[in-house]
Amino acid sequence: MSHRHARINAALRGARDGIPLLGGYVPVSLSFGLVATQAGFSPWEAAVISTLIYAGASQFLFVGMVAAGAPLWLVVALTLLINVRHVVYGPNLATLLPRSRHWPWLMHGLTDQVFALALTRLPVVDERERFGWFLGAALMAWAVWIIGTVVGAVAGEAVTAYWPLLGDIMPFALPALFLTMTAPRFTDRRWSAALTVTVLAAMALSLSGATNVAIPLAAACGALCFYTLRFPAGRCA
Amino acid sequence: MSTSLWLAVIASALGTLLMRVVPFLWMQRRLSAREGPNALPGWLAVLGPLMIAAVLGVAIVPVNPSALSWLATALGLTATLLLWRRTRSLGWPVAAGVSVFGAIMLLSQVVITG
Repeated sequence: MSHRHARINAALRGARDGIPLLGGYVPVSLSFGLVATQAGFSPWEAAVISTLIYAGASQFLFVGMVAAGAPLWLVVALTLLINVRHVVYGPNLATLLPRSRHWPWLMHGLTDQVFALALTRLPVVDERERFGWFLGAALMAWAVWIIGTVVGAVAGEAVTAYWPLLGDIMPFALPALFLTMTAPRFTDRRWSAALTVTVLAAMALSLSGATNVAIPLAAACGALCFYTLRFPAGRCA
Repeated sequence: MSTSLWLAVIASALGTLLMRVVPFLWMQRRLSAREGPNALPGWLAVLGPLMIAAVLGVAIVPVNPSALSWLATALGLTATLLLWRRTRSLGWPVAAGVSVFGAIMLLSQVVITG
């Protein structure tokens, strides 16, 4: 099999592994397209925002603050502040991915979901196939996000009226997927305690309306737990 | 969109891209230089899985929280976990979880409306 075919196969495998992400991406991108047009953006402007910024929560904040008339410097500052959590994603994947001159643009696809998928799946992907795998998973997720935004901007109201449960049922693919990614990490009492604290903290922050800061704050709570709690060595949870 | 709004979009996009790219390239440089595969600081290796757990926590909260959606969430996650323990894969456990969650939500709609 040629090098080119091997890379295409790896990309297809990455795209296939990323299919569960669509359960979350489709309804959220549809919602973003709808919200953006309601905030006064045209469909193609919403598509450009999804193409260039490509970070769900911060995009909602961006269009919401612009629609509310907030100063643009503040809009940019808060958009970047929400996305600061991304700085810890790259270093974790750097140990798993080969060197390539394409990373500066491919890392654009490093969302929360793609990071979680890559950190979980890359260790079981052959080292020679990892570049292609990441390419397939990231590009598929990015394309779906942009297409979903356009559909949401053009026909969002009709889609949600026709399938009222779309926004309720499909997003469940995300917690199910992340559960399958988190479960293997429950290897001992220390990790189990840190992961449980993190999940509960994230749920509490999300329920209290602090969804935008829930991920970094909850992870910080879990790290605090990980480094402060001590259990006897060698005892499984 | 006005020119200033376009600039705000570009600044947000560029800043987000840099936050994704620069730490990745920095770590790859450390790995290939003198520090080898142990270049990843311990706290960063801990933070990776915890970030995934945090995303899980945020995603668990139902779109429209109610007793029914929480029940459907609990049963859906149970189905996911049980199938994951058998298959250790991603696809089927997710499909099973969504099916159980969706079936409960649809059934409740039928009961409520019918």
